[in-house]
Amino acid sequence: MDELYLDNIDEYVNDHDKIVTYKWLSLTLGVHVNTAKQMLYHYLDHKRKESSAQLHATYLVSGKFVDKGQTVSLILQYEESLYCKARMSLIVSVHVYSVQKALLRDSSPLYSVDYDAVRDHLQSCAKYSAIRCTSAVPLSSVELQQARERQPAPTPEPVVKVPSVNGEASHPSKPSTKSQKGIMGMFSNKAAPKHQDSVTEVKLEQKEVEPPKSKAAAKVSPALNFFGNQKTKKPNKSDKADESLQSSSRLEQQQHQSSPPEKKPEAAAEESTKGSKKESRSKTKRTVDSDSEEEKMDKKKRRRIKKPEPDSSDEDSEKFFIISVPGGTKIRKRRRVLKPKTFVDDEGCIVTEKVYESESYSEAEDEAPVKQAPTKCSTAKLHAAGNNKEEEKKSQKKTSANTNKGTKQASIMGFFQKK
Amino acid sequence: MATLTRQDINFGQVVADILCEFLEVAIHLILYVREVYPSGIFQKRKKYNVPVQMSCHPELNQYIQDTLHCIKPLIEKNDAEKVVVVIMDKEHHPVERFVFEMSQPPVLSISPDTLLSHVEQLLRAFILKISVCDAVLNNNPPGCSFTVLVHTREAATRNMEKVQVIKVRFTQYCNNMYWKHTTQHFFTFCMQLYVEERAQKT
Repeated sequence: MDELYLDNIDEYVNDHDKIVTYKWLSLTLGVHVNTAKQMLYHYLDHKRKESSAQLHATYLVSGKFVDKGQTVSLILQYEESLYCKARMSLIVSVHVYSVQKALLRDSSPLYSVDYDAVRDHLQSCAKYSAIRCTSAVPLSSVELQQARERQPAPTPEPVVKVPSVNGEASHPSKPSTKSQKGIMGMFSNKAAPKHQDSVTEVKLEQKEVEPPKSKAAAKVSPALNFFGNQKTKKPNKSDKADESLQSSSRLEQQQHQSSPPEKKPEAAAEESTKGSKKESRSKTKRTVDSDSEEEKMDKKKRRRIKKPEPDSSDEDSEKFFIISVPGGTKIRKRRRVLKPKTFVDDEGCIVTEKVYESESYSEAEDEAPVKQAPTKCSTAKLHAAGNNKEEEKKSQKKTSANTNKGTKQASIMGFFQKK
Repeated sequence: MATLTRQDINFGQVVADILCEFLEVAIHLILYVREVYPSGIFQKRKKYNVPVQMSCHPELNQYIQDTLHCIKPLIEKNDAEKVVVVIMDKEHHPVERFVFEMSQPPVLSISPDTLLSHVEQLLRAFILKISVCDAVLNNNPPGCSFTVLVHTREAATRNMEKVQVIKVRFTQYCNNMYWKHTTQHFFTFCMQLYVEERAQKT
């Protein structure tokens, strides 16, 4: 072996006061690590024979201890390495790790030297290494670019969903947990209902519906029934794209903001035709029908059903008339009925209010309450100023309950009737 | 590479922050390497991506932080000429002096992308040199203590009332071995480290 390397190492150690590790020497001189280890060994042996200035060396000892059978790799001073070798049942490797003038107190300087050496030769740090893997081949620039292009493609979709649907900066949840959140959010919302919670739950439900997963949709649809939204069309909507849903929801919002004022005058005209039909339905079905009419408002915010406030103007506008047919058995009357109405307010929230609506009914449908109705109506007229608003409410509630009696299924309000 | 003057950015504050951080690490390492305090009070920390030794003793740490807090305004205004870590024996006679000389050039060239990594690399070199200073220094006597001195330029004396320091006139009483560790030229400042050692320590 050429002895020039000995002079190089001597210059690094004595003149520059460097810590010369085998890795640093390998990268600096451009030789294989095993060659660098042999260089250090020869240099150390040479200096000890010359008995020149004292040098210190660290050794890497790899083997298996006798006591615990543990396989270890240790960087030790010379005396410590001898001690460890005596305690090892199997010695795998012993070689010089570094040579320096100073006695090192810990391994921190060794790490610093190797860190700087690898950093300076970052592109070729494994060039002279003894560890090889034939399949580890660096990617070409074309392959690297393709790999980068593939990675960000799936990520933007969940991110896009969030701001447009929710309007809030919330991180996208995983699909496996989306359904759970939605379902668990239902129960948590049921325990402590709040406007915001209901809003977030609806949003989470919307997220669940958006990906084309039948399971998620199936889970969502029964759970969303708690809110009274129509759920029959939701599986169909799960097939739609996210953006189309969002755009449709925006359009729905705009439409429903204009729809509530239109619906009120329309309701009076429709009552005469729909009154009989509506009487035959239960409350849950009423909500379904209302949702079927208002299917565009599926995925909106909802609020609690507001209790109606009696308006004096409504009392004045209602008409009570009795039609008597000669020899007739039918008497049609108009009465005020408490009905839930759903609309979207200014804030974009779905508001369900119970509103008094006048509807016509025939005496044949309800005989008992018909007798009461005139008296109640007369009392309402007498006290139109609003003194007996509460009595009127009760009477109207009773009449509304009695209208349901004509249906096949008994209503829950049936027991309020006077017998 | 953009050329900026010291007025363009808060140059002094940036340099003071960097130097004070480094001085804190260096002082702790000097105390560990020269065995001023038992090695048991030191623990490994990471700084500049390499392991360094730092004291766990709260009073010692507080003293070092307070000292550097007083030095920082001087470095900001480029009034500090050098910072010296003096190791003294039981009789309070200095046995070793680790001198950090620093200066800031008026005009500098900054490339933000490479500046930070380059500065870290140079500071790592200082730390590595402190780690191997045992090779050229003799062992200290037991019971040593240390103190930190700052040498300022004459113009700084006008504003010294705001800083809690004891003004002394430096007299050279340690003029033996002069061992120059390293000189590093940074883009933003220049620093040199060397050690003065008394011939007879015992």
